[in-house]
Amino acid sequence: MIWGAIVGGICGTLVLTTALRAGSELRVTRIDIPFLLGTALTENRVRAKALGYVLHFVFGIGFALAYYVIFRAIGEDGWWLGGVFGLVHGLFSSSVLVNVLLPVVHPRMANPRSAAGSNPLLEAPGFLMLNYGRSTPVVTIAAHIAYGAIVGGFVSLAS
Amino acid sequence: MRTDGYAPIADYAAVGDGRTVALIAKDGCVDWLCLPDLDSPSVFGALLDAERGGRFALAPTEPFESERRYLPNTNVLETTFRTAGGAVRVTDALALPTMGFEPFRELTRRIEGLAGSVRLAWALEPRFGYGADPGRRACENGIPVIQAGADAVALRAWEAGAPEMDSAGVRGVFQAKEGQRALLVLATANQEPLVFPGRDEAERRLDDTIAFWESWTSELAYDGPWKDEVLRSVLALKLLVFSPSGAILAAPTTSLPEVLGGERNWDYRFSWVRDAAFTLEALMDLGADKEAHSFFWWLLQASQLTHPRLQVLYRLNGGNRAPERTIPLAGYRASTPVRVGNGAVEQRQLDLYGDLLQAVWIYVRRGHDLDSDTGKRIAEMADLVCTIWKEPDLGIWEVRNDPLHFTQSKMMCFVALDRACLLAEKGQIPGDHVARWRAEADAVREFVETRCYSDEKRAYVRFAGGDELDASVLLAPIMEYCRGDDERIVETIDAIRRELGGGRFLYRYTGEDGLEGDEGAFLACSFWLVEALARAGQVGEAVKAMETLLARANDVGLFAEEIQPDTGEFLGNFPQGLTHLALVSAAAALSQSRAA
Repeated sequence: MIWGAIVGGICGTLVLTTALRAGSELRVTRIDIPFLLGTALTENRVRAKALGYVLHFVFGIGFALAYYVIFRAIGEDGWWLGGVFGLVHGLFSSSVLVNVLLPVVHPRMANPRSAAGSNPLLEAPGFLMLNYGRSTPVVTIAAHIAYGAIVGGFVSLAS
Repeated sequence: MRTDGYAPIADYAAVGDGRTVALIAKDGCVDWLCLPDLDSPSVFGALLDAERGGRFALAPTEPFESERRYLPNTNVLETTFRTAGGAVRVTDALALPTMGFEPFRELTRRIEGLAGSVRLAWALEPRFGYGADPGRRACENGIPVIQAGADAVALRAWEAGAPEMDSAGVRGVFQAKEGQRALLVLATANQEPLVFPGRDEAERRLDDTIAFWESWTSELAYDGPWKDEVLRSVLALKLLVFSPSGAILAAPTTSLPEVLGGERNWDYRFSWVRDAAFTLEALMDLGADKEAHSFFWWLLQASQLTHPRLQVLYRLNGGNRAPERTIPLAGYRASTPVRVGNGAVEQRQLDLYGDLLQAVWIYVRRGHDLDSDTGKRIAEMADLVCTIWKEPDLGIWEVRNDPLHFTQSKMMCFVALDRACLLAEKGQIPGDHVARWRAEADAVREFVETRCYSDEKRAYVRFAGGDELDASVLLAPIMEYCRGDDERIVETIDAIRRELGGGRFLYRYTGEDGLEGDEGAFLACSFWLVEALARAGQVGEAVKAMETLLARANDVGLFAEEIQPDTGEFLGNFPQGLTHLALVSAAAALSQSRAA
């Protein structure tokens, strides 16, 4: 059922966001996905964080629906398969999506072609988001595995 | 100028943004900066360990002389370096945020060539976590970035030489010619990606920061004597306001020693209840109403955690834990230990209740009302004072030996109960227990007048039955325990000047306090003497003492906690809020005495 994917997406994003925040509070990473997303739309820090959380949940549901389509296509689902999807998703996000694509579309983020112009630039994440701290890949990928497992679990329950 | 790598404490000036403070020496070196907040671990801590504390240096490479000032009515520092080859001006500020897209915290250093040509060198050597971690260095898109855990700093340099990274940090050299302008911006991040500022935005934020301070100062309402010194004191106090909560800390540093090489090194990056009445009155007198209101309500909220008991100090976020520990830094000129946290948090000090109730009284006397919940809480505190005033305590000076019946503590218990009665009369707090409060207040006064006054010394003594003196009893007329011209307090003023005087300065007390070594003269006490003299009608003497004290400020008008009377050397944490509060209070009292 598609509702399983939507609810799973919300719960999974909740856990993912909380895990990343916990990593930040434990001072092992400076990753802040809502801040990264929100500053693509506004320069105002406070508004950026609020918008970023909304966007992150929207994306979380979007990815859960993508998981659902793949589950249907291969005729199999479950928390463990979701966890595998999460692992791939986490690796893809940190190595390509956030590292390569986000700097290209983010109006305030530095990319390899950026010159030291007059616009303030947001620190780019780098490969596996290592610019935000050495433990960032571990925290990010673990959080995405948890996200995938939750989405897979909810889809399985709703089937 | 430096001894073993340490600048004299008086060589520092402070810049801040309402969240943290940087101390910059006369030679252009930023030797103290905690990030992201005033009570966070230091990133530049050369103040406490010249070798491994971390710093951000900027100075000519050839011999130079420097002179400094704050830009008028601001907390933006201007240092002019003169060399044989020319002159250059450096403007330093912690830039204020604009609610736009700026770094989390931003230290801006603008360099302008004034004459000839001056070769300058800069070196950024951050050491995160009180010198523990040099961080991991990287170059991101041509920008040097150094990070450790959830903290990171980046340096943007324009016309200030090509940044070169080495094992110690990042450095550069450049020539500043007449008419040329360079810019160094330290962008910092905590728990988020860095924002690399552009030059135009950074320049604009620096200009906006100057404009903000000018505007803030223009709204102040002081028009009495020593206006420049009073305004500088208020600007110094504003640096100590932690804007995210409204708390006002005692000083932005830890462990600057009260005696060189000694153990009297404390962390002052907390808010003391003791300063409440002074703070509120000074801020309200000077028209800084917003800061006064924020502090008052922060204090009432913070103290809710321990209600009805008061803690000596609270964290800037209102927390009530401040465990004391030592950290492995060399200490300012080998003054160890370097402490973080403050053990006084667990002490019993009875004067606090008088300080808080006097603050509440000042607030109400200025025409403000308390809500019923707050009024009930204040009444409960007065009830508590009725039961605890007979107990010994550790007193205003937070001694570390056995508790005693300190005179000043008992006087403040009287103040607490007397102000509670006055507040009840005004209908601001429940008056059900007024008779008890009045009876206990009379009993406290009886105790002070019979047990804490020495006929032999003709003075109030430090503690009941003792014969030592204590400058804190000068607060008696200031906190309205008695009139300024009360015979006993006038006699006490004379005795204190005789026994605790060091020139125009005062030492706090004589006798044991549970710690090794002596300390310098206490500047707040010296200003309290000025105020006590003014209130006693000895205005001429008070003016002379005031002039002498003001002449001992450093070149930018700041004071530390203590001073060595013979050398004028500053001791203790810097800049010290209590000293500047006492200065403002003394100036206001003298202004009133002259007008009367």
